[in-house]
Amino acid sequence: MADETQATAFEADDRDTDALAERVVTWFIGLVVAALLLGLAVGLVSPAYLLYLVSLAAMFGLLSLGLNVQWGYTGLINFSVAAFFGIGAYIPALLSASGSPLPWDVSPILGLFAAIVVVVLLALAIGIPTLSLREDYLAIASLGLAEVVRLFFRNQQNWTMGTSGLGGIPTFFEGVPFLGTFAQEMPTVDLGIYTLGFQFWNSLLNFLLVAAFAVGVYLVLRRVHRSPWGRILRTIRSDEELAEALGKNTFSFRMQAFVIGSVAMMFAGVFYAYSNYYLTPGIFNPIYTFYAWIAVILGGSGSNRGALFGGAVIVFITEGTRFLGLGASFRLFSVGLLIILIMRFRPQGALPPKKELIWPSAHEGGERSE
Amino acid sequence: MSQLLNYLANGLVFSSIIVLGAIGLSLVYSIANFANFAHGDTMTIGAYTGLVTLGAIGAAGPELLALPMGFYLALLAGMVVAAVVAVATHYVIYKPLDTDSIGMLITSIGVAFVYRAGVQTQFGTDFREFDITILRPVGFIEDAIGVTITLHELAIVIVAAVLVVALHVVLQYTTLGRKMRATADNEELAKISGIRTDRVITSMWVIGAGLAGAGGVFLGLYNQLSPRMGFNLLLVVFAAVILGGIGSVYGAMLGAFVIGMVNQLTPLFTDYGIPIETDYANAIAFIIMVLVLLVRPQGIAGEGGG
Repeated sequence: MADETQATAFEADDRDTDALAERVVTWFIGLVVAALLLGLAVGLVSPAYLLYLVSLAAMFGLLSLGLNVQWGYTGLINFSVAAFFGIGAYIPALLSASGSPLPWDVSPILGLFAAIVVVVLLALAIGIPTLSLREDYLAIASLGLAEVVRLFFRNQQNWTMGTSGLGGIPTFFEGVPFLGTFAQEMPTVDLGIYTLGFQFWNSLLNFLLVAAFAVGVYLVLRRVHRSPWGRILRTIRSDEELAEALGKNTFSFRMQAFVIGSVAMMFAGVFYAYSNYYLTPGIFNPIYTFYAWIAVILGGSGSNRGALFGGAVIVFITEGTRFLGLGASFRLFSVGLLIILIMRFRPQGALPPKKELIWPSAHEGGERSE
Repeated sequence: MSQLLNYLANGLVFSSIIVLGAIGLSLVYSIANFANFAHGDTMTIGAYTGLVTLGAIGAAGPELLALPMGFYLALLAGMVVAAVVAVATHYVIYKPLDTDSIGMLITSIGVAFVYRAGVQTQFGTDFREFDITILRPVGFIEDAIGVTITLHELAIVIVAAVLVVALHVVLQYTTLGRKMRATADNEELAKISGIRTDRVITSMWVIGAGLAGAGGVFLGLYNQLSPRMGFNLLLVVFAAVILGGIGSVYGAMLGAFVIGMVNQLTPLFTDYGIPIETDYANAIAFIIMVLVLLVRPQGIAGEGGG
């Protein structure tokens, strides 16, 4: 009896801190938006740069949405995010860039579909040997296999241009009527402190592209998460034996989650390639994997809106420190400190998923998988 | 033939460095129960402490294996500082955490970043070297069997061997060693038997990080120093630990030996007509790691459970 009262007290306590966290997040977002708008008004932040920042947040959001399907829904510790991000960037770029050592010259949109095929194959290749491993082994093994992919892109000069980098990447809409020449043909608008020219229209187009990716992926993931399929994933995460006992092939479901998450990460890579026009194997750097992890943990494992919020915070840190002229060391330090502080004081993240009926053990271990 | 001997000699030197990292990683895994991603950066801390110490006291004193006493003091300083940093991290960060092994793993990534940021702030991202004359290979060994190995490389192998043997003695013949083995085996039971597991865990961090610090100094002597040096080696060290069987110190030694050898024997592929560049040496180590996990998740020397 006493235990029950205590449990309810804890839950009430949790609800209180959750409400507080929600307010803090709202204030944080409000302040950042206000600061950016102020910067825009006084001429510090150009409209093109603002669009770039929002696009970058959406890009990190895609990475963390993908990881959220794998870790947040299913409990897979995937440390190969950078591999899928990099493949998503390299495959369409290699197929469509003028500087590519490969002979084909297809439209970027076809390249996107090629990337989906390659990413699914890579996810199977990484997933088949690793997804049945114990959780921390999976972390190390997937990080190792991501390194193998990175070494391949670094060293196969003849296929990927290696360390000299791949140039001559067209825009994503090359060859598409209207959108293909949108940025060139839009008139230059003079707004006093800003002139909206080619750069602005180009950023706008890039922003619309990544926003379409992010919104599409978000809606699909929200839909599948609420479906019976999503319920099975949550059951696997909280009690794998129960899922097995219910006659579910857990390996197959884990694999499905792994593939879907990887495709979401790929979209981030596609955007990266077509907004940078130049790629180096640095895109396979494990730091992108860690950024995605921080975003998911910060936002709250299992929570899609948390993943998007986490993505925005990553941009706030990386671009904010750059804006203030603070070096790479400071960036690294603040990211490291942030991880430690979250794990210490709020392991469930800023915006943990809302409560729902689920097996009790889902609430164990600090994170909640509603 | 002498080419093969050369690869083997290189393998032995590289293995000696990996083994120093692998032991600590394995100790943390068996006693603190998590995969410590900050271990590579602990090696980096050791290396840079060595750099500072050597810079301060200079390459002075009588020489042993062509290395001045100043270097051995720098090595000692690297071990001590790495151990102090690790123990402090344990008390300030890991111990107050209320989380599972995955939470610890993720926290250790944060710790790794903080370590590396600290090194980077002080020393920048450029490559650095110890202020010690680079040696030519030992003449008589080269003449006799055609193996080009320097006295510095010999020193790495010999000191690593001394440290490994010392650890073996500590683990097998001292009370502390027995307590450590008991704690690694079953912490609850060890506690009930009256072992102060807190102290054991502290000693574990001292030993593991101290060896990692030594490994870092040697890595700096063997190659160069950079803030990423330890992190770049971390996956290879993980490969060694997993190959040997996570949590088994002796397995880690064996795993480090195998992975170090494989790493340096990679040119053999090209020699025998299989076009795998040496750039893929680490990739081969990782693939071996995954294959071992597939076939025998408990590793070569690990005991069941997985």
